[in-house]
Amino acid sequence: MGAQLRLTDLNLRFGGIKVLNDVGFEVEPGQIFGLVGPNGAGKTSLFNCISGHYRPSSGSITIDGEEVLGTAPATLARHGLARTFQHPALQLQATVLENVLLGAHTRLSGGPVEWALRLPRLARSERELRIEALTLLERNGLGWAAHRRADELSHGLHKGVELCRALLSRPKLLLLDEPAAGLPHSEVEQLIETVRRIRHDDDITVVVVEHHMGLIAALTDRVVVLDHGAKLMEGAAAEAQSDPRVIEAYIGKDAADDVA
Amino acid sequence: MSSITGFLSRAWVRWAITAVVAVALLVVPLLFSEYTNQNLARIGVFAVAVLGLNVVMGYTGQVSLGQIFFVGVGAYVTGYGATHDWNIVVVFLASVLVPGVIGLVVALAAARLGGLAIAMVTIALPIIGVPLAKRLSDFTGGSQGLSSAFSNAPDWTGLYNDQWQLYLVIVIGGATYLLTRNLVRGKYGRAFAIVKSNEAVAASMGISPYRYKVLAFTVASLIGGVSGFLYMAVIQFTSPETMTFSHSITLLASMVIGGAASIIGSLLGGAYYVLVPQWSNDINPNLTELLQGALLLLTLFLLPGGLVTLPREIARRLRRSRPDGGPERRQTPSAEPAPGREAVEETPTVGGIPTQRPTERQEQA
Ligand SMILES: Nc1ncnc2c1ncn2[C@@H]1O[C@H](COP(=O)(O)OP(=O)(O)O)[C@@H](O)[C@H]1O
Ligand SMILES: [Mg+2]
Repeated sequence: MGAQLRLTDLNLRFGGIKVLNDVGFEVEPGQIFGLVGPNGAGKTSLFNCISGHYRPSSGSITIDGEEVLGTAPATLARHGLARTFQHPALQLQATVLENVLLGAHTRLSGGPVEWALRLPRLARSERELRIEALTLLERNGLGWAAHRRADELSHGLHKGVELCRALLSRPKLLLLDEPAAGLPHSEVEQLIETVRRIRHDDDITVVVVEHHMGLIAALTDRVVVLDHGAKLMEGAAAEAQSDPRVIEAYIGKDAADDVA
Repeated sequence: MSSITGFLSRAWVRWAITAVVAVALLVVPLLFSEYTNQNLARIGVFAVAVLGLNVVMGYTGQVSLGQIFFVGVGAYVTGYGATHDWNIVVVFLASVLVPGVIGLVVALAAARLGGLAIAMVTIALPIIGVPLAKRLSDFTGGSQGLSSAFSNAPDWTGLYNDQWQLYLVIVIGGATYLLTRNLVRGKYGRAFAIVKSNEAVAASMGISPYRYKVLAFTVASLIGGVSGFLYMAVIQFTSPETMTFSHSITLLASMVIGGAASIIGSLLGGAYYVLVPQWSNDINPNLTELLQGALLLLTLFLLPGGLVTLPREIARRLRRSRPDGGPERRQTPSAEPAPGREAVEETPTVGGIPTQRPTERQEQA
């Protein structure tokens, strides 16, 4: 079951700079929710707040009704939150498969002593996860790359690997930070299919930050537009695209063509 | 090359190799001279110490300059227990657990600090350890040190002391190597590696960087204790000199020269620690340090990954010197995409909107 996410009056500041200003919205279980806005609007910072990497100065974040503000990121991950990063951070020396397996960390039982003894039960669970990870890569068109070192792959493909890594943790709530950045058009189509399938098959709530309005329009049930750390509007993607305030926010950043 | 790796990955081949190595290890102590056996045993002692250092530093990326302290504590506990006629199993457990607990407590405090602070705290360990060992003379024998012949060969074995001691090192050190090798693969290996390379990502995978640093540091101290026990078994004497800071630095150099984050590299590191001072001493006792320094620099320049990467480096060079450049040369730098897909490098803008902020900052902080 996908998680429900609610943000209320979230404020985040770095020194004197207000990065988030009373931001609040609600994501229903199983929704695909879009977060858009010009560069520097605070989208990534908002993700960092949800995932526990940043500590908001005030406000509330609840997942399935439970307050998670101030919870450590590792704890949140163990409770079903997964994310990708705007700038993918893979282990470049390791294979793609090893990178994806990292996502399954919370699913592997056993303490250090048991792993040092390599109990048969653990060796078996590791083997099973390998197969699952390979299947996942295959489904996302990356099966051919499983045994390549990550640094042999292009940036766009790193995003796909990160997505697989996040999915292998079997999250309830998935945050995607600009998953289409760096992808050619054909790949964006495929990404849209992938995210739709994730929602359909695995019933995950997805929040996606993206500049690619085509993707946002095709995918999301609802969007929030951020500008200068504040919520500009909330509604369907089509409404956002025609909203004069949104267009102005983007023109202000001289990128209006993307919105039009 | 690939046919060799393919051959090696077959289960029965690996079993056969394991069996051959095991048999070889069991007959080795019977074959060589006393001098060689003693040298081999010493290599084993320090290979275990380097292995521990590798867990915290090579695999998990936390600079530790105090590994020799845990070796020293292990040796002292062993010496104390043996001279007080404790059961040998109790001696062994205490010699591992006491450094382990000290390591745990230090790590709980130091890993909070992060960055270079851990290195600073670990510097303090040997620096405090030496005067402390001199002071606590009731336990340590003060500057005189502590000696114990607990590891002389029992009569029923019919072995010479050097043979018996080498067996101790092979069995205990071998078990430590196997357990550690298992630990640094799979779940914990991946966790240590991501804590080393990116703590923010580690945390988002459910891996608490703090807890895993503490774990790695504690494991390193436990292994240091094992090394200390073996030290006492082989050298049969310890003094404050055992844990001087300079030994800790040599241990670190040995780890780098053998190969960081490598099991075989740890073994080579142990060999470096023991053999190189002997060789340089043979060449010219006045130039020992200079020769060692030169060797260190040479290895770092020629083999930045340590001695363990030597075969790979040789293979790479051979391939490069071949006229067609070899298979590796012909490979495209960015891997070939699946049929019908295009691998495209990131463009700075997507749909006219820059995908990167002007200032590249730590959004993963
Ligand atoms: N760790 C930080 N320290 C200081 N300022 C930050 C930090 N993280 C983000 N900011 C600021 O917050 C603002 C929003 O950044 P970000 O969330 O990355 O925007 P977006 O993802 O929407 O492009 C920027 O002005 C940035 O300088
Ligand atoms: Mg961003």
